[in-house]
Amino acid sequence: MMSDSIVPVKEIEERMETDKMWLTMGPQHPFSHGLWTLRVQVDGEIVTDAEPIVGYLHRGWEKETENRTYPKIIPMADRLCYAASMTYTHLYCMTVEKALGIDIPEKAKWIRIVADEVCRIQSHLMWLAAVGTDLGSYTVFLWSMREREFFLDLNVKLCGARMTTNYPRIGGVRNDTTELFDRDILRTVERFEKALWDIVALVDDSSIFVSRMKGISYLTREQVANMGLTGPAMRGCGVDFDIRRDDPYDNYDLVDFEVPVLKEGDSYARYMIRIEEMFQSCEIIKQAVKKVQALGKNAPYRVKTPSRVPAGTTFARLEDPRGESLMYLVSDGTDKPYRLKVRSPIFVNVSGAKAMSVGTRVADVPAVLAQIDMCLGETDR
Amino acid sequence: MAIKYLDKYPKNLAKSLWVMKPFVVVGKLFWKNIFHRPVTVLYPYEKEWIPDNYRGRPGLRFDKCVGCGMCVRMCPTACIKLIEVADDEGKPVMRPQVNLGRCAMCGYCAEYCPLDAMTVTPEYELAEYTRYDLLYGPRRLHYEGTTEEMEVKLEVTLPSDIENGNPERRVSLFDIDRPELIDNKCIGCKKCAKVCPVDAIEMVEKGVNDKGKPILRPVIDNSKCICCSNCVLDCPKDALQIKEVL
Repeated sequence: MMSDSIVPVKEIEERMETDKMWLTMGPQHPFSHGLWTLRVQVDGEIVTDAEPIVGYLHRGWEKETENRTYPKIIPMADRLCYAASMTYTHLYCMTVEKALGIDIPEKAKWIRIVADEVCRIQSHLMWLAAVGTDLGSYTVFLWSMREREFFLDLNVKLCGARMTTNYPRIGGVRNDTTELFDRDILRTVERFEKALWDIVALVDDSSIFVSRMKGISYLTREQVANMGLTGPAMRGCGVDFDIRRDDPYDNYDLVDFEVPVLKEGDSYARYMIRIEEMFQSCEIIKQAVKKVQALGKNAPYRVKTPSRVPAGTTFARLEDPRGESLMYLVSDGTDKPYRLKVRSPIFVNVSGAKAMSVGTRVADVPAVLAQIDMCLGETDR
Repeated sequence: MAIKYLDKYPKNLAKSLWVMKPFVVVGKLFWKNIFHRPVTVLYPYEKEWIPDNYRGRPGLRFDKCVGCGMCVRMCPTACIKLIEVADDEGKPVMRPQVNLGRCAMCGYCAEYCPLDAMTVTPEYELAEYTRYDLLYGPRRLHYEGTTEEMEVKLEVTLPSDIENGNPERRVSLFDIDRPELIDNKCIGCKKCAKVCPVDAIEMVEKGVNDKGKPILRPVIDNSKCICCSNCVLDCPKDALQIKEVL
C-alpha cells in the first residue's frame, strides 16, 4: 500500500527492520469527537494502518425500544444524535406510518421538511465548528456556533426545545407553526446566507485550511461503493445520489433544489459539498415555508392513528445530514415494536477511516477524520 | 435552481493562497462588533427571552387533577409516580410526583393529560444539592404563573373526517375513545368500578345466573369518562377494550 515516494528507502535501510507503532487516539484524546477510539499504525510520521473502535457509548437503544409503546420511542429517537434529532424522529415516525399504511396531512409534510432542513443546517454548522478547531482556527468555531444559535432559536420557537425537539409525531407533527414563525425563519435564512459567506471566506481563503484539506485522503468511487459510505463522503467522490431527490419521501419531489456532486474525492471536496448543501437547504426552507403559509392556519397537521401496528415488517429511509439513515421495524400486532433496527450512516462511514487516513501524516489525522462528522450517539446506539 | 457556492469558489487556488484575506474578513467583523451591542447577557441577573411554548419542568394544577395515572403510563423515562396526599379537604387522594432527576422534559405528561391538569412550565433552573430535593411532590409541582398557553393541547384530525371532506381539527385525542365491554368475558368483579378515577362506571344487575346469584355488568357513563384506560388495564379477564374512533 505504501508507495516508495513517500518514504525514501535506500538499499541498506531496506534490510533494517523498523518497528511500526500503534497509537491509540481517543476516547479521551482531544482529537476525538465524542467517545470514539481510532488506533493508528504509524511508520515514523506516516499512517500505515488504522482501526476505528466504537462502542463506548452503547446504551442498548434498540433493545430498550422493545419495552416501550410506539409514542414513547419518539423522545428516545431524539437522543440518538443531538445534532440530527429532528431527522431521526422524523424517520421513526415515517417508519411507523408506513407500517400503519396511513397518509399524513399536507401541512405536516411541509412542516417536517422545514424542520428537517433547519436540522441539516445546524448539524452542518456543528461540523464546521468542529473542523475549525481540528484544523486550528478558533474563529471558525465561534462564528459557526454563533450562526447555529439562530437555528436552535428557531427550534425553540417551533417546538419549545433547543436540541431534543420531540417534534414529529406518528401521523403528523406535535403542534402547528407558532405565531410569526414564518417571518422569523425567513429572516434567519436570509441573514444566514450572507453570514455563511464570511465563514467560507475565512476557510477558503486561508492557505492553512486549504493545504491541509486539498489533495489528501482520496477515496475512489469503488471504495465508496464497497464500504457503503453515504452522504457528503459519497457525493464528494462523484456518486450522484441523494434520497431526497432519487427516492423522495414526504413532499421533497415538489421542491426544486440541486444535489451538489464533486469528482475530486478528497477531503476538500467533502468540505465543499457540505457548504453547498447548507445553501441548498436555505432554498428548500424558503420554498417550503411558502407552502406552509399557502395552506392557511386551519389546515390539519396531525391525524389520529391507531395505537396498535399490524404485524409485518417495514423499512423507511431518509437523507440524514450525515448520510442515509434507515429504520427497520418488525411489528407483531401489539402496541410495542418487536424489533427496531437503526442503520446509522456514521456507523458505516466510520469504516472508511482506514481508507481515508492511510498515507497521511499523524498530524493530519484529526483534520481528515473531521470530515466524517462523527456522532457517537447514533453509532453506538 | 442554481448552485451557489461550488460555481464560485473552488476554481482559483491562487486567491486562496493570499494570506491577508482572512484578516480583512476578521477586521470587518471587528469594526462591526465595536458599535454593536453585546450579544451575551449577565446571566443570573438578566435572562434570555424564552417563547411561550418553552418546555421546562412539568407543572401540576392540583385541583384539576383526578389521579388517573395517564402521565405515569406515558412517561418515557418512568419518572412519574402516583403518591397518596391529602387534598384541600383532608381526604387522601392519588396525585403524581415527578422525579426531575430523570425527567427528559419531553412534555408527554402535559400532552396526554386528559384534563389538562399537567402543564409545561418555563422553569429551567432546577439544580439542587441532593437527589431527594429533585423529587417534586404534587404540591411543589404547582407553578405560580400558570397560563392557558402552558397547557399542551393535542389537536388531531380523524382520518374518517378527511375522507368525508371535512378536515376539522379536534382539540383532544381522547375525547372520543371509549372502553367497550366484551360481555362473555366479564365475571362481574367490580374492579373497573373501583379503579375509575371519575366514577364513570356503575355496576348494574342484569338478570340472575344458574345458582340464583345476580349477574353484575359495568355500564360506562360516556359523558363522564375521560378515557384513561385504567379499567382496561386492571381488568383481570381482559373483558374491557378501548374502542378507537378513527
